[in-house]
Amino acid sequence: MKNIKTIFVFALPLAVGLFLAGSCVSAKVAMKTGAQLWGENCIRCHNTPSPTAYNNTDWETIGLHMRVRANLTTEETKKVIEFLQSAN
Amino acid sequence: MKTRFLLLTAMVFSVTIGFAQEAATPEPYKPSKTQFMIRGYAHAGFEYKKVGDEVETTYVGSSFAPIFLFKHGDRLLFEAELTFSFEENQVEIDFEYANLSYVLNDYMIIRGGKFLLPFGTFIERLHPAWVNKFTSMPLGFGHDGIAPASGVGIELRGALPIGSAKLLYNIYSTNGPRLNNGLDEQEEAGLLHFNNIEDNNNNKAFGGRLGLLPFSNSALEIGASYYGGTVGDRNDSIYQDVRARLYAFDFSFVRQISALGGIIDIKGQYNISNVDDATYFELEEGDTIASAYSFENKSNAYFAQLAYRPTMASNDVIKNFELVGRYSVIATPEGALWEQQGTQWTVGLNYWLSWRTVFKLNYQHTLSEGGHDLPPGTEITTNGLFVHWAMGF
Repeated sequence: MKNIKTIFVFALPLAVGLFLAGSCVSAKVAMKTGAQLWGENCIRCHNTPSPTAYNNTDWETIGLHMRVRANLTTEETKKVIEFLQSAN
Repeated sequence: MKTRFLLLTAMVFSVTIGFAQEAATPEPYKPSKTQFMIRGYAHAGFEYKKVGDEVETTYVGSSFAPIFLFKHGDRLLFEAELTFSFEENQVEIDFEYANLSYVLNDYMIIRGGKFLLPFGTFIERLHPAWVNKFTSMPLGFGHDGIAPASGVGIELRGALPIGSAKLLYNIYSTNGPRLNNGLDEQEEAGLLHFNNIEDNNNNKAFGGRLGLLPFSNSALEIGASYYGGTVGDRNDSIYQDVRARLYAFDFSFVRQISALGGIIDIKGQYNISNVDDATYFELEEGDTIASAYSFENKSNAYFAQLAYRPTMASNDVIKNFELVGRYSVIATPEGALWEQQGTQWTVGLNYWLSWRTVFKLNYQHTLSEGGHDLPPGTEITTNGLFVHWAMGF
């Protein structure tokens, strides 16, 4: 019970703050560039990868792997791969 | 006449050169439909630990986890991971997962085999050494945790855009966890074993996770997971109907905030394990008749972590530093022989050599009571200093 109270006390202001911080930017995926999606999605788990880390063919494989792991849609995956291939 | 001859010669020469150039031009590179890659991660380091009054220091040998990826076309992917590490002076190999995924449509993927379970996000997304910002896992997470790491089964997963928000979904069925009835290992009676490759009963476990990214910049993610099923062995008259219900709630916020001059990364996960009550038996040394006992088989474990990296600093060295802090708690059932209450604080400073190579310096304070190897009521304080490097490849 004490744990739940503590979490509630910290979580509520945090949730409100994050809601305000997160809602500053809002755009549909269709309107986003591959660079934007790369910057927003990779960092949810790890640092954004350098486009030069892999060649075009490898990015296709890694893109499909990350599509499965990070629950990305076809459109998001395609745009991110195209960005990485164009920038490497 | 001489002019005509020269013109003709020049034409023949230029045509010949043209053909020669065409023949010499290499074919543009065409990747084949099938691609194979080995990726993975490794880590090594030094650890200083003071357990009670006893000091332990050791270099930790490099753990190496190759990930094999095989892609055929745009829809079919095979992934597998092995982990090589040292345990008590011996090489230990763990078969983490091996599964096939097929993209059904823009928003749905089906996969089958042994896969990391999307029970919360820590195991599936954050556990690799180069992704985990700490030198250890939170209490109650990992192979000996109260939550599942992987399972053998089938899964549907994907994402659905909802306006500018996004809903992530995972639905799966596995062979499920197995209840330790304590007959062979009485100190683990009532404990769930998640690394259950073969089904110990004919009841499949079902689970799923829903994750909501309410903002289109994907900065915030809130998730809820469930995993449950019958866990007792078939034909075990006492325990065959015992069921387990596990829940997880996770939270993630990652964003570069100009006012703070860098990236703020907050993550947390709360795991709850509820197993039906049952009667177990304990045979104490010298006794010939086992005594029966029961306990409320409920456990929980959670962590909250914060990381800050000044990515907007003008100095190239400073922008690679990262401050991290984590608090984690585990509470297993009172009355169980594996009863454990533990709290842990970890603070650290990381330095990123590249986007996938990191040096971690962590200080960790753990206060624990009970556990597998200690009698209930025994309290132990462990302070540790850990220096690790980790690399993804």
